[in-house]
Order: sequence, then C-alpha cells, then structure tokens
Amino acid sequence: MQPISKPNGPGQGSAEPRLRSRTFTSMGTVVSLAIPAAPGTAPQAAVEELEAATAVVEQLFNRLDRTFSLYRPDSEAIAMARGELTLMNASADMRRLYVEAAEWRTLTEGAFTAERPDGVVDLAGIVKAHAIREAGTSLLALGLKDWCLNAGGDVLVDGSPTPGGTRPWLAGIVDPEDRTTLLTAFPLVGHSFGNRGKHALATSGTGERGHHIWSAGLPAARDEGFRQVSVAAADIITADVLATAIMAGGARTLELATSHWDVDVLAVKNDGGLLATQGFRNLAPRNS
Amino acid sequence: MRLRAGISAALASAAILLVGWQAGAQVTESNASAVTTSAAGNTAGTAGGTASGTGSTAKGTTGSSASGSSSGTGAGSSSSTGSSSSSTLGASAKAGGTYAGTAVETRFGTVQVQVTIKAGVITDVTALHLTDQEQRSVQISARAAPLLRSEVLSAQSANVQTIGGATFTSEAYLTSLQAALDAAHF
Repeated sequence: MQPISKPNGPGQGSAEPRLRSRTFTSMGTVVSLAIPAAPGTAPQAAVEELEAATAVVEQLFNRLDRTFSLYRPDSEAIAMARGELTLMNASADMRRLYVEAAEWRTLTEGAFTAERPDGVVDLAGIVKAHAIREAGTSLLALGLKDWCLNAGGDVLVDGSPTPGGTRPWLAGIVDPEDRTTLLTAFPLVGHSFGNRGKHALATSGTGERGHHIWSAGLPAARDEGFRQVSVAAADIITADVLATAIMAGGARTLELATSHWDVDVLAVKNDGGLLATQGFRNLAPRNS
Repeated sequence: MRLRAGISAALASAAILLVGWQAGAQVTESNASAVTTSAAGNTAGTAGGTASGTGSTAKGTTGSSASGSSSGTGAGSSSSTGSSSSSTLGASAKAGGTYAGTAVETRFGTVQVQVTIKAGVITDVTALHLTDQEQRSVQISARAAPLLRSEVLSAQSANVQTIGGATFTSEAYLTSLQAALDAAHF
C-alpha cells in the first residue's frame, strides 16, 4: 500500500491543519465526514462539532434508507416492488425522486434508468447521491464551511482542507486494476470558487458486487465497455447519474455526457486503457 | 421537461457537429453529411421530411430528443446517411453557393455552421460563430481522449484527503484506502 497521507498529527510541527473524520454505516456502505480543525479551536470543541454534524448526516441517511431500501422488509420501496403501493400513492419523497430519475433517463437517452429489467422501481442508482446532496444542505445549514463527505466512494465537498484557504480538496481515485493503489487524484473546490468549480465526484464500476447498473440494452455498450467511470461535476446528482449512465451506455453515453454537461470524466476501459477529459489530463503536468 | 430534453438534444447534435468539424480530415466526410442536412433544410426546405438533422440544427429547440441525437450520431457514423442527404441536396442546390445554418446556443457559445457547395458537392464546411480560440479549446477539451496511465499516476496521488472509487460496500470498506484515511484522521 502506498503512502496516501502524510502523518500530520499534533506535535509534528506540520503546517497543515489536522483533518478529523467520523464514519457510520448506512445504505449498505460506509459514510465518512471529514473536517479540518480551524486554527485556534480547542480540540475538544472541534471534535464535538464534527460528531454533532456526523449525527445529523447519519439521521438523514437512515431516514432515506428506511424509505428507499429494497433490503428492508418494511420500506416503502419494497411495498412498491411487491405491488402493494403504487407510485401515485407513494410519499412525496418517493414521487419526487422518481420524477428526477425519470428526467435523467430522458436526458441520458435511456442509459440511466430507475427501473429494473423486471419493471420494479429501483431508485438505488440515485438515492445515495440524493442523500449526499441533502446532507450537504444540512451541513451548510449547520454553518460548517469546510467539509468533505464521502459515501461509499462518492464525494461532495465544500470549502477547503485548510480552513479559510483556497487549497482544493484532493480526492484520490482507486485503480480498478489494483484497489490498494490510486489511479490519480482530482481537485474538488468549495462553492466560493465560482460556478465552474467541481464540488462532487462520483465513481461507478464493476469492481464490487451490489452495484446497481441495469444495462439499458444499448448494443454498442459491450464492445466499448468500461470497467470504472469517474465523473466530477458541480453537483453530486449529475456526477453520480452520469457515472452510472456511462457505465451502462458505453462510449456513446460518454460522448453525450461530455458534450451536454460541464463535467470531467475519467473512464477505465475493460482493456485497461484510459479515457480522460481535460480536467484529468491537466493533473499530470501540474505535478511533475 | 420536454423542452429541456429538446434543447439538450439540439445541443448534443450541435456539439457532435462541432466535434466532428474540429476532429479534422478523418471525419470530414461524415461530418459534412450532417451539416448538409441542416443547410438543405434551411435553404430549400425539401430535406425537412427526410433528414432528422434539420430538427436539431436548423430549428434548434424544436427537435425531439430521439431525432436530435440520432441525427448527430447517425449521420456522423454512417456513410449511407451521408449519401442520401447529399442527393437530396444535389437537387436543391445544383447551382451551388454558400448556405448558413441557424445559430444554436451550446455550452461552448453560439455556433453556426456554413457550407459551401459547388455543383452539388460540398467543398467547404466552416463554423461561423466559434467566437474565440478559448471556446474552441474548451470544445476540444470536452472530449474524453485516450490517456496513458503514466500521465495520471503522478505524485499528486499521494496526500489526498479522500478516496473515490466504485461504490464500496460496508464489507469492502474495511480493506479500502478510505478506511485507512479515516483511521488516520480519527
């Protein structure tokens, strides 16, 4: 395993402020919230702030999971799958998210879909991103300025890892060939850096079981298939939906995504080759 | 929503046109065929029924999602589309001349394509409103192009604050790099 983080704990004289993170389990994955300790803040106060914020995010994730999980016998989603509840009679949350998913289906020309091949409504492809989005709104409401939220490998940030600074958060991207190493890293900036900034990064892939990609049956997809697709965008829904859509739709959807949306994409092809937009290509010279 | 889809479709076609145009000689022929349909629809009105490209380029936002997208990709990749639209054009523009498509707003700025035809053959395709060099470079950069692993496996990989990856399950998390980071930041 390569070194991925400088040890910068207290007493080492590091100029970098210490990052703290807390994790919880929800939606079948692990969610982690990291915030830097602002200079001059008492360590205990910073920890309490982080733990309070994590609790808020955890409640939010669990509430959405109770509604949308197909793995909970008492969820609204499972009642719909069993045919006991129609979309018309579903909760406002369910209907709203379904409409959003349906819109994305149109926009991605069918590559992203909220229905399984058997016709069951499955919003799993968008629920996690929705939860991340809602969590981001909550953190903003809590007054947190610098934070990094990672839910199962999908990332949303605000501010900077240096409180009040301009340094972007650096999000590593796992190499699907060897999941103990990173392929590259992408800088995610906070909302104070203008509209063109990418605040969110989502990755979709075949690397792990339990992933929700229903192939849209696009014939070209198999030959030009991707093993992993990462999309950086201004918001987490766009990033997540497009990553899923490109995985399902292949090169055709990749072309569609990069021409319609202001996104950066890094796609790992099945043969190991990489396709990248400029945002990912710029990284190499910047570092050498 | 339908309007948004229509606009998106129009943008897709315009973007594909642009991409084709800038990609150079390799796609010139197929790209020209896509342009031809819009130019013919605009000037002669005869191509409207046969060419879906009309909906996206000439009429802008009125194109439906399906026709808008298939026009760009279909015409871009299939030479048979190219020949059929050329023949349509041949009848209406035998004398030749220069034809301009309607301006289309894309995320890269306003784009308008101009075609020069001599004796029913396209001799030149020009983008009229690629407003400046910067926007052109943005357009080019929007494409995902092949990249060597060595170009991204850089020093920047070290010292990240978070790890993105194909969705890790709670079991997989335990052995993930993100778990190591979270432990380091505890």
